[in-house]
Amino acid sequence: MRRRDFLKNMIVGGALFRVSPSLLAQASDTPHLVMAQGESPAAITKEVMAALGGMKSFVARGDRVMIKPNISWDRTPELAACTNPEVVKTLVELCFDAGAKEVTVMDHTVNQAQRCYARSGIAEAAKAAGAKVPFVNTFRLKKMALGGQWLKEWEVFTDFVEADKLINLPIAKHHSLTRLTMGMKNWLGAVGGNRNQLHQRIDEAMVDLAAFFKPELTVLDAYRILVRNGPQGGRLSDVELQKTVVAGVDPVAVDALGATFFGINPQELPYLKMARKRGLGENNLEKIRVEKRTV
Amino acid sequence: MKKERSKKYRALQFLRILSQTVFFGLFIYLLFGTRFTGEDTIGRVEIFFHFDPLLALATTLASRTFFTVFALAGITVLVTAVAGRYACGWVCPFGALHQFFSYIFKKARLLKPRKEEKKEKRLAWKYYLLIFVLVGSLFTVDLVGIVDPLSLLYRSFVTAVVPWLSHVFSSVIGLFYVLRLGSAGDSLSQFFSTLSLNQTFQQGFLLSLIFLGLVFLNLTRERFWCRYLCPLGALLGLFARWSVAKVRVDREKCIDCNLCTIHCETQASPYPNEEWRTHECVYCYTCAAICPTAAVSFPVATGPEKFEVVDLSRRKLILTSALAAVAAPFFKITPARTRAADKLIRPPGALPEPQFLQKCVKCGECMKVCPTNALQPALGEAGPEGIWTPVLVPRIGYCEYYCSLCTQVCPTGAIKELSIEQKIKVVIGTAWVKKDRCIPYVLGSPCIVCEEHCPTSPKAIKLVKTEIRLADGTTQTPLAPVINLDLCIGCGTCETKCPVVDDPAIYVTSIGETRSEKNRLLLEILRPQALPEEPR
Repeated sequence: MRRRDFLKNMIVGGALFRVSPSLLAQASDTPHLVMAQGESPAAITKEVMAALGGMKSFVARGDRVMIKPNISWDRTPELAACTNPEVVKTLVELCFDAGAKEVTVMDHTVNQAQRCYARSGIAEAAKAAGAKVPFVNTFRLKKMALGGQWLKEWEVFTDFVEADKLINLPIAKHHSLTRLTMGMKNWLGAVGGNRNQLHQRIDEAMVDLAAFFKPELTVLDAYRILVRNGPQGGRLSDVELQKTVVAGVDPVAVDALGATFFGINPQELPYLKMARKRGLGENNLEKIRVEKRTV
Repeated sequence: MKKERSKKYRALQFLRILSQTVFFGLFIYLLFGTRFTGEDTIGRVEIFFHFDPLLALATTLASRTFFTVFALAGITVLVTAVAGRYACGWVCPFGALHQFFSYIFKKARLLKPRKEEKKEKRLAWKYYLLIFVLVGSLFTVDLVGIVDPLSLLYRSFVTAVVPWLSHVFSSVIGLFYVLRLGSAGDSLSQFFSTLSLNQTFQQGFLLSLIFLGLVFLNLTRERFWCRYLCPLGALLGLFARWSVAKVRVDREKCIDCNLCTIHCETQASPYPNEEWRTHECVYCYTCAAICPTAAVSFPVATGPEKFEVVDLSRRKLILTSALAAVAAPFFKITPARTRAADKLIRPPGALPEPQFLQKCVKCGECMKVCPTNALQPALGEAGPEGIWTPVLVPRIGYCEYYCSLCTQVCPTGAIKELSIEQKIKVVIGTAWVKKDRCIPYVLGSPCIVCEEHCPTSPKAIKLVKTEIRLADGTTQTPLAPVINLDLCIGCGTCETKCPVVDDPAIYVTSIGETRSEKNRLLLEILRPQALPEEPR
């Protein structure tokens, strides 16, 4: 049954392939996605970026780069509620190596920002690499036309829009409503307003936000993944070691591959299906070429 | 006769101002340091309170237990007994504030110092206030926090001055953006966020009025609070009578100009010399510095000497004591004593309610340090003796799971100090779902916000597929929240974050709190039965 669905999707997917020309353009030589596995979060992060052609293919000299990790919760790194600080740090270093003028790391946290920034270890790690790690500033909120199918307009932190290059740096986690929270859901941390009300049509909200922000690059931290009690966990037993980092240009493909770490068929995730239809990327693993490396 | 002011005492006066500035600065530094700074533990930001013998005495009397750090208050007593009320004149930040405003009002000619009546009845007020508070404490009504100068000052700064400052500050930042000076606005805004100043309090306006009222009383007399009202000053005054630093007016040099007595900050009346009130003098050296002929000095002199004392009528002292004894029970007549109040959610580590009320001095340390602004001054929730004690208001903020800062900064042990490991086991209440307002139960559509934010693992809120009949006759089966009472700790995150923003669809009441044996739902619910070890 699943196999038949799979085949059916492949046909439908193929028919719809034309809506994502960006994928077609790069389909020839470079892989869609790179995933690297290894003991060191820093080493595997470097490895995926090297395999994607180096950070220089994304960041130009003099760019102001914004990296958006998930710093939502007042949780330490081993609880896997926020992006791994070493991955953040390595990515900041790579951006500077590629010639970035300025790298900013920020997130609109759920718990108190000061606590999340400090206890996630992200502020310290990113600052050590030379990044700016500001708290979100409500004076920089601006109601913007998102052009979404459901979200017509919403308050957005302009920092994320004004940067020359935007890199999405989520962590892979369980979530009770969307089943998983990875790259596309991470954009809820770039907006203001009553974010809690987005949950009533969360899949549409996620797709609209992902379509609006369009990062240059998505790097998924799956070094530690949160397999239950997401999205904040709280016990070490909620965490599994995957020791993996995934990177790619296609935000849908990154999330689709991430789903497999949880034993979930990405085609079962409605928001990925919706994103696929909107031309944001590919959710069919059969059509995603993944280069796997081990460090 | 050569007219010249004393250089020595002008230098000492300068030193005194310097000392006041330093201690006031320290007070402000510790106030701003009372926040999450990146560590699980916080330093001794409440240290000022431990040097306060009034707080020490009153809470010891009221709670019948001695909190060991209050031994530091002995130093204040000792210094006062040996050398006089230097604590009031040189250290007390509230005294410094009053003196500063008195000075401003004098310079603005809004306040004209005068020679007071010899028989000044108002000086006695503070002694009566002191007696009232101490007798109240004896009857276990802890009123000291309302009138203790340090509690009052700290509470006023936390609930009134800092929020005022923060509001002004954020308006200024807004102005920067209007003027297209965004980068300056950004830097200021980051600085502002780092200090975690964005707190507001339910009674901010009322507490501002009280604070401003006390400041403006300086328009009528210099250091009005210190002269007539401060019960700590009164207490120190009782010890000061043995002081060896005594004022001396040199008859040879004195030209009877009265300047020393007119300008005496606290009406200690150095001239005529035998009318000097040892226990009123705060050693500000204004008299010695202002004297045009350097006739006033403070030599060290031991041995008994007869000086003027404040006219305390024995009849009135007895009357005040009796009044306090009569009044004490009035503070206790509240249903809160016999029946748990649902909205009376206390910070984690708070002692059982009766002991808590005997120890809490309403200083506001816990409210300042709370990272989510959840702790608010109570008005009527805890009965009359509980005014301005901390209450967790989940609609405003919630108890951050891995935070135990409020338990660390409490100066009296009313909130028992807890480690993070101990704190996460403490239950402060229980959450309940209002099914008639909850989105899945009413609209049949998903929400899950409360479950997502529930910090315990496993989560105390479970999502259960529930059949919902909608208005149009159709049936939906959304995931709807159900509370697991064994796991809920009452932190209130669900209530804070509930998207039903006015009257939340999930709310916390105090039932099930660890500190109470009676405020429980079911006996068999697996919860810790008491706070970790007995407080001492």
